[in-house]
Amino acid sequence: MVIYILRRLLALVPVVLIMSIVVFLIIYLIPGDPARVMLGDGADESTIQELRQQMGLNYPLLEQYGRWIGNAVQGDLGRSFFLQQPVSTAIREHLAPTLSLALFAQFIAVLIAIPLGVRAAVNRGGLADKTLNAYSLLGISVPGFLLSLFFVLVFAVRLKWFPVSGFAPLHEGIGSFLKFMFLPALSIGIVMSSLTARIVKASMLEVLHEGFVKTALSKGLRQNTIIYKHVLRNALIPILTVVGGSFGTLVAGAAVIETIFNIPGLGQMLVHAVERRDYAVIQGMVLFIAIVYVAVNLAVDLLYAVVDPRIRLQ
Amino acid sequence: MASENLLEIKALQTHFHTEAGKVSAVDGVSLAVGAGEIVGIVGESGCGKSVTAQSILRLLDEKSQASYSGEIHFEGVDLLKLSQRQMRGVRGNDISMIFQDPLSSLNPLLTIGEQITETIRSHRKFSRKNAWQEAVRLLRLTGIPAPERRVHEYPHQLSGGMRQRVMIAIALACEPKLLIADEPTTALDVTIQAQIMDLIAKLNRELGMSVLLITHDLGVVAEVCHRVAVMYAGQIVETADVATLFREPQHPYTVGLLQSIPSLDRDRAKPLQAVEGFVPALHQLPKGCRFAPRCPHADARCHAVMPLLEAKGSLGSQARCWHSEALSQKEAVGHA
Repeated sequence: MVIYILRRLLALVPVVLIMSIVVFLIIYLIPGDPARVMLGDGADESTIQELRQQMGLNYPLLEQYGRWIGNAVQGDLGRSFFLQQPVSTAIREHLAPTLSLALFAQFIAVLIAIPLGVRAAVNRGGLADKTLNAYSLLGISVPGFLLSLFFVLVFAVRLKWFPVSGFAPLHEGIGSFLKFMFLPALSIGIVMSSLTARIVKASMLEVLHEGFVKTALSKGLRQNTIIYKHVLRNALIPILTVVGGSFGTLVAGAAVIETIFNIPGLGQMLVHAVERRDYAVIQGMVLFIAIVYVAVNLAVDLLYAVVDPRIRLQ
Repeated sequence: MASENLLEIKALQTHFHTEAGKVSAVDGVSLAVGAGEIVGIVGESGCGKSVTAQSILRLLDEKSQASYSGEIHFEGVDLLKLSQRQMRGVRGNDISMIFQDPLSSLNPLLTIGEQITETIRSHRKFSRKNAWQEAVRLLRLTGIPAPERRVHEYPHQLSGGMRQRVMIAIALACEPKLLIADEPTTALDVTIQAQIMDLIAKLNRELGMSVLLITHDLGVVAEVCHRVAVMYAGQIVETADVATLFREPQHPYTVGLLQSIPSLDRDRAKPLQAVEGFVPALHQLPKGCRFAPRCPHADARCHAVMPLLEAKGSLGSQARCWHSEALSQKEAVGHA
């Protein structure tokens, strides 16, 4: 088990390294001189030169990367020109809303996807199966922003059950936190669950044909014990992969949903940074997001081992 | 219904609903298993022997896949009339089953102990701790070394023979009166096969547990069974006690099966005899005797009219053949 974890960790090093190089080169992939673009048309030459010096653009490329990655390893991702604060501080401030939205949306998605996918697989062609087909078609073809606008119109504007937009941190009380979070989380959760439910169903169907399911039946176990303890557990690995992947995407920022509901999260921050060509923020955030992806994948790998003793006891 | 037989199957039909229509994988099978008896069902792949075995516990999906008719009396109760809930009380409790491939029959994610105790605890009021002690006892009973350690292991950590012993331990968990063993040794090495068959025979003797053994191996039948039924294309074509079947086979199919057993003292120069041809597909069965297309003795009547399973010979055999009397005389002449 320890070797399994170490191997997984070791495999992450080159991934992060390559990502950091790509992220660093973003500046050079976007046309135009960064300092000139940031300061706008009216800036005079000496101010531009000063900013270039400040941003370290006058050093050789390799040295620039060395400085940047050296600082990044120590948690210093540079300063934002526009926010007038360190990039790492800005990320930390915007992380909480995004993370709570992601967790809440994921929770809703799993809550819908597992029972629906399981019932659809067990009772093929039945009501749950037909519901799943219609539901997933809807979830995949209706974009999240449309769904969220619809929810806002119905539940916030008409029924006034929820606020139209905004965010309340968790430490100001769970009630108001949930009130603000519910509609955005539901919009994302529904879209995510439609894909997840399909995977749950497909994965369940595969396991249902396995010999041990017949054994479980021949032992006289209850249907729910067979389905949840024996079949679902064995179907879990593809499900974990999909859930992990979509969670990573969410932490990277559900920019559109965050914008609609005016949630001060990472997605919103990234969009603003791109609009303003705030290079330090863009680089810092993309690197951060890459690391989040890698970390989520690592977590999923570790969960595989928790689920499956054949991986754990290798 | 008073009966000496523990299990009595009467005119069982198991239908499958396929795209080609309704087919009967088991067509009018009647069979009895007495208390303490080992009865074998032999036949080629696809003859319906496994489906018969699974029909007894009603393991086939009745919602979409299969339906049953006929009667399956177990201790006088018709299992086909029970509700799903009542059926659950029979499975793993009064009747248990072991399958062909012990690796795929065990859940790879649960420990051996968990898989044994869940059977015990779903039928008996056992505390967790007592159930685990019972699991260790059952593993020891099936001859697994170091059961206290094995009980915490997973199926992939055991050898094939050990896994089948674990399956047997699970099957024994509630001291069933009948064990259905569906090709229990097919997936195992030859040396392990003998060990597992010895174990099953021993448990039959010591626990008085009846066994219905499904196999394609007549050698296994000769060794452990008391009585045997030969199945062909969904029907029983011959049934007899083991000694009689081997001494005086009544059905040409049985004769063919016996001739295809390789033996050490046979003439190596001659090729091994095989039953020519294939088992017919279920949706295009012959009108008369189902074996007629492959039978060397078939005549016009065989192709037109299906024979019934009737008493043949002097030793209590039953066979489904128009010619068995004539054949057995010819056979006797041939041997003389």
